Amino acid sequence: MDTKDKKHNFLKRIFNGRNAVISIPYLWLLLLFLFPFVIVLKISLAQPIIAMPPYTPLFSWGDSLWPKIQAGLDSYLFLFSDSLYIKAYLSSIKIATISTILTLIVGYAIAYSIARAPKRWRGILLMLVILPFWTSFLIRVYAWIGILKTEGLLNLALMTIGIIDKPLIIMNTDLAVYIGIVYSYLPFMILPLYANLEKMDMSLLEAAADLGCRPIKTFWSVTIPLSMPGIMAGCFLVFIPVVGEFVIPDLLGGTKTLMIGKVLWGEFFYNRDWPVASAVAIIMLLLLVVPIILYQKSQEKAMK
Amino acid sequence: MKKYGNFNIFALIVGFSFLYIPIILLILFSFNESRLVTVWGGFSTKWYGELMNNQGIKDAAWVTFKVAFVSSTVATFLGTIAGLVMSRFGKFGGRTLFSGMIYAPMVMPEVILGLSILLTFITLSIDRGVLTVTLAHITFSMCYVSVIIQSRMSSYDESINEAALDLGCTPLRTFLLITFPIILPAIISGWLLSFTMSLDDLVIASFTSGPGSTTLPMKIYSMVRLGVTPEINAVSTILVGLVALGVVTASIIGKRQKQQTI
Amino acid sequence: MTDSSSTHPWQDPDQKPYIRIENVTKKFGDFTAIDNLSLDIYKSEFFSLLGPSGCGKTTLLRMLAGFENVTDGRILVDGEDMSDIPPHLRPINMMFQSYALFPHMTVEKNIAFGLKQDKLPDDVINQRVEEMLELVELTKFAKRKPNQLSGGQSQRVALARSLAKSPKLLLLDEPLGALDKRLREQTQFELMDIQEKLEVTFVIVTHDQEEAMTVSSRIGVMESGNLIQVATPTEIYEAPVNKDVADFIGDVNLLKGIYKGKDKEGTQLLSEDSNSIVYATQEVEAELEDTIWFAIRPEKLEISKRKPSNDINVLQGVIEDAEF
Repeated sequence: MDTKDKKHNFLKRIFNGRNAVISIPYLWLLLLFLFPFVIVLKISLAQPIIAMPPYTPLFSWGDSLWPKIQAGLDSYLFLFSDSLYIKAYLSSIKIATISTILTLIVGYAIAYSIARAPKRWRGILLMLVILPFWTSFLIRVYAWIGILKTEGLLNLALMTIGIIDKPLIIMNTDLAVYIGIVYSYLPFMILPLYANLEKMDMSLLEAAADLGCRPIKTFWSVTIPLSMPGIMAGCFLVFIPVVGEFVIPDLLGGTKTLMIGKVLWGEFFYNRDWPVASAVAIIMLLLLVVPIILYQKSQEKAMK
Repeated sequence: MKKYGNFNIFALIVGFSFLYIPIILLILFSFNESRLVTVWGGFSTKWYGELMNNQGIKDAAWVTFKVAFVSSTVATFLGTIAGLVMSRFGKFGGRTLFSGMIYAPMVMPEVILGLSILLTFITLSIDRGVLTVTLAHITFSMCYVSVIIQSRMSSYDESINEAALDLGCTPLRTFLLITFPIILPAIISGWLLSFTMSLDDLVIASFTSGPGSTTLPMKIYSMVRLGVTPEINAVSTILVGLVALGVVTASIIGKRQKQQTI
Repeated sequence: MTDSSSTHPWQDPDQKPYIRIENVTKKFGDFTAIDNLSLDIYKSEFFSLLGPSGCGKTTLLRMLAGFENVTDGRILVDGEDMSDIPPHLRPINMMFQSYALFPHMTVEKNIAFGLKQDKLPDDVINQRVEEMLELVELTKFAKRKPNQLSGGQSQRVALARSLAKSPKLLLLDEPLGALDKRLREQTQFELMDIQEKLEVTFVIVTHDQEEAMTVSSRIGVMESGNLIQVATPTEIYEAPVNKDVADFIGDVNLLKGIYKGKDKEGTQLLSEDSNSIVYATQEVEAELEDTIWFAIRPEKLEISKRKPSNDINVLQGVIEDAEF
């Protein structure tokens, strides 16, 4: 084969239909998912001004031939100078960690019980878990306001039975936020756990029992380690989005509930400080990039 | 069969009560005569009537429906291609980046997605409105569609396509006559998922919408911030009903798909 | 052997092969699946590629169908180089191991699919589909979907579909692998019958040596990307080219011996086990005193209490154990 022929093949390989097909979704995601992060990074390096858009341009052409780069770390320095932001990051991670653990405990119990249910029931039970997930997130959070508020249904019920005589203050506290998160993210935990537990070979548990392992010990030394992939997937699916959660802390949490998603929202919509909002987003992304990559790897492995 | 323990039954009863009681109460109190959401004042549908007179909610519902319909359709198209590319195209330059861009939006906090895509629209001088909300919704929905298609394709017997090629069918016709009809149920579930996600979205819509493109969740959100009212319960009940209808349809389609593949 | 060239075309130097595989190599990355392999297959043959899984037999078949490219060398079908011809333009049909029936089409639509791609008129297609359904005895099941068929029925639909376009060459990838033993034996004869009736060239991939022995005109025994022996079933059985082939085909007693030359009785071997001279009918290329393997098929051994009248290949032994 001569070189001309090879070159022709090479060009054909680049401009073939296969690449055209790949390029359609690829370009879309590049333009509307990846490129936006470059923009956020750019704006986080600018200064806020009162104008539209309310930030300074990154490049300006003065008299010189080269554009003057007006990049500054002012927004980032501001984030670290005001303890509010650091507290919000830490508090978000704390709330995300605690609620991920709570969701894992509740989710594991449900997923385990479904996986051990008679086969003909499993499909229906799983369907019942997924069903609420299809209804609006906002509506599900809203439903809890009526239950948790001081003159709400929970206090009404408890006082009617006579368990308490003074209403519990749950609404506008971190507790309400935990309840809301566990409730809203439960299906994300149950689905990967169930997928894993359902595939688990029951004969392994029987083998352990046969070898004289007590049920509780079997659970800790066989079931839990074997379901680790499901646990990891579920925890990523809950932890990562909860760190940036806005609706739940906004509607159920109080003024003292600090979460970074709420801070970002406030910086953008109320303070109109876009560079700081962008810097908040960039730092949040840096915190989440490792868990996101781990999650992507585990998903790709699961698809094979 | 192994005996089904008391613990398991208890876990399921408590778990499902936790999942369903809030929604049931929400629906119940939408039929409450009293304005107070916690006190039962008798059965009434008057809040649904008031809803019908609320032009703001009706406008928002129309905008939401338009956005959901267009965005889910485009997202299904793009997501199906992306799913096929991921599952059938083997190695290609930039595959890791592509897979990252598909999985990341599904876990990425919505505030980040909303902010970044909005700043892009502003940089590109695209006016905020129905179009920008739609574009943003397409972007995250297509990732979910792609994952649904990928998981369908993982149980797809490639020799079915080879058989079609072998019998003289061109690659393009093989896709249209064989692959497409076989994965159609998965494509439809992808569309339904995109549609409901677009219908539900508050955060990304808040960032990317402009004047005149207030969506229903945005409208509900602003009402919720003013307090709990039976009207919100009523509009929520309608949405829950619509979604339930969609899910039932999707599960029937899913059942048919299962029958076909076995 | 004195067979005519019509039943043994490979012995006739004037016959042109229908398929010619010339020095074909196939690599997947660093792994060499097919290693510089050459093979001629003639018209109306029932050729089996036999070997353990992973020996490259399926890869070879997929290269014939066009699903895999050839890394090096070329494949000619009826004198035409197949290298640049995509699968859908090759005059070859294939029956898949998984049957690969289209799940959303009825049995008759499955069978008609290939004919429709050729844009034949409807009445021609319908007639051909009916013929095919009759051939595989599935007329009653024409309106069923694949998920309503048994394994044996699916297998017959797959066969009918791949034969509908009257290909000159049919490739079969483990066609009977998914059937149980009884059904498999019955179907083997049906396949031979159909092949004879339609005079199609069959190339079949199998790991089941019994199947290959029953159905084939010739067998190609493969191992790690190479053809070790190409011969008729009888030749392979009677004169395996090496110890591996002997061991793979049928039951056999494998013994070691020392080559002692040959005389009018045949090849002389000193058996290591019995320390006596054994005569073999086959010739061997070896130096005197070389250690070589020899094999005795169990059905060729006769045992008796009294010493037989033969002078050669008579050994004395003690019965140690008996099994059935």
